[in-house]
Amino acid sequence: MRRVLVTLTVAVLTLAAATACGDDEPAPPAGGDGGTAETKTIEITFDQGTVTPSGERVEVAVGQPIELVVTADVAGELHVHSTPEQELAYGAGTSTLPLTIDQPGVVEVESHDLDQVVVQLEVS
Amino acid sequence: MLGQWVSAHGLGGAKDLPIPTELAIAGAVAALTVSFTVLAVAWRTPRYDAATSGRPAPAFLARLVDAPAFRLALRAIGLLGFAYVAMVAVLGEDLLTNPVFGMFYVWWWVGLVPLSLLFGPVWRSISPVRSINELFARVAGTDPERGMFDYPARLGYWPAAVGLFAFVWMELVYPYSTELGPVRLWLAAYVAIMLIGGAVFGNTFYERADPFEVYSSLVARLSLWGRRDGVLLVRSPLANLDSLQPAPGLVAVVAVLFGSTGFDSFKESPPWVRFVQTNGWVTSHDNGPNLANNVALLVFCVGVGLVLAIGTMLTGVEDDGDGAGRSGPLRWVRRRLHLPAQFAHSIVPIIVGYIVAHYLTYLIEVGQATLIQVSDPFSRGDDWFGTGDWSVNYWFSYHPTLLANIKVGAVVLGHVVAVVAAHDRAIRLLPRRHQLTGQLSLLVAMVGFTIGGLYLLFAA
Repeated sequence: MRRVLVTLTVAVLTLAAATACGDDEPAPPAGGDGGTAETKTIEITFDQGTVTPSGERVEVAVGQPIELVVTADVAGELHVHSTPEQELAYGAGTSTLPLTIDQPGVVEVESHDLDQVVVQLEVS
Repeated sequence: MLGQWVSAHGLGGAKDLPIPTELAIAGAVAALTVSFTVLAVAWRTPRYDAATSGRPAPAFLARLVDAPAFRLALRAIGLLGFAYVAMVAVLGEDLLTNPVFGMFYVWWWVGLVPLSLLFGPVWRSISPVRSINELFARVAGTDPERGMFDYPARLGYWPAAVGLFAFVWMELVYPYSTELGPVRLWLAAYVAIMLIGGAVFGNTFYERADPFEVYSSLVARLSLWGRRDGVLLVRSPLANLDSLQPAPGLVAVVAVLFGSTGFDSFKESPPWVRFVQTNGWVTSHDNGPNLANNVALLVFCVGVGLVLAIGTMLTGVEDDGDGAGRSGPLRWVRRRLHLPAQFAHSIVPIIVGYIVAHYLTYLIEVGQATLIQVSDPFSRGDDWFGTGDWSVNYWFSYHPTLLANIKVGAVVLGHVVAVVAAHDRAIRLLPRRHQLTGQLSLLVAMVGFTIGGLYLLFAA
């Protein structure tokens, strides 16, 4: 028993040491000044009941300005499942919806008219 | 602000970030190393024996938890919670701000796990259906332990497995899981079945068929608390785990618990989201996405059960050679059919480790949000308990590195406990010449579960 415990402890400590070096807590949200990060543009197209992209993962930084450029044949609404949730309305034609997310996590942007996930924003 | 629209999204906003690649690989390597270390250097005679393990708990503690007043207080807490949920389920608004959703999906389902880990079989002590059954029995002058019939032993945990599947189906697959009507119906069916079952079969029914009691008591095997002949024991979680008696349906219970949690990670992963939204067949049928999710949930649960069954059965069970010449495949299987249930206890730590990893932020953050909502049961701005103006602390979400380390740590720790538990059972159960080789297939299955879990945490 003791032998097992010692071996396990050594193994676990080695791994802990190997993984815990980088204490890379996220940078504070760029929020206010916003000038530091460049804007991430995501193009979204609604056409005859379909949407592209469909469920795509997009990486963004915490607080990075995001622009959703929506081209749609019919007006509608996007639901951003961030904490707290956000709702973005768009009209027919092309509209640009600004968005920032200040809390790390995976945030789904959904079209509830189509019941589809458009993009998953991986905010880190 | 919230809850105006129907959503298949479930509760809570943002989901956890995937764990970093290095951490996932480190966890997988740790799981592999630990597995073979245990196999190579661990003890060769069984250490855990439910008949002798543990020592009596301190007298004052035993006196406290066995005091009628203490028992009654726990039952009262359960009944108060029950009355509150019934009230908001019947009179509350059909909005996401109705606390019934958080209480159902977060406090009850997820909260039971840490409570049972810390305090033992919690649901058994507060279960309102048990309490109501006991009240009925007292009024009728009968014994709540006994019903009209004996509970059929061959049913085992199967009803609980079905009940657990009904819950995870409701939570993960059913598109209207966050509408009041379906949740109310689910709860009403649960209470009705539990009260009828208790009247027919007595308290044994709750031990075997109440999905929440079975779940809570299973997790409680990893706590420090046990009981033998009515005496409260303190014993190591490993010895406690070993005291779980195999029964029919136990494999199904662990398969549903692990499979469904895996499916929950999987269904958020981009490949599955894309498949459900763009596959020609799925999108051309009205019910296509729903059907695809149903099938996937079932495949995850059945898959876990099969891997466990095969992993435990690929071993020799006879000392004098297997007589390969004269035993057909049917005999081969029949002689090993008891093995999966004998080893099912060893999967429990893997499940608990993965559940910690999967649900930690959900429990902490949506759990807090529920505590705030509870103060306003009818969504009209009341503040019954003074928690209404609290705000949710998102500290954990802002420390994703710490969070990822905790997750991988929990998964690896669960794996270690699982491998040790399976090892001890193998040397008790298997004939000497199969003790080590017989563990290999189960070890492969366990490493598969753990690495599969880490992969889902990394990819979803």
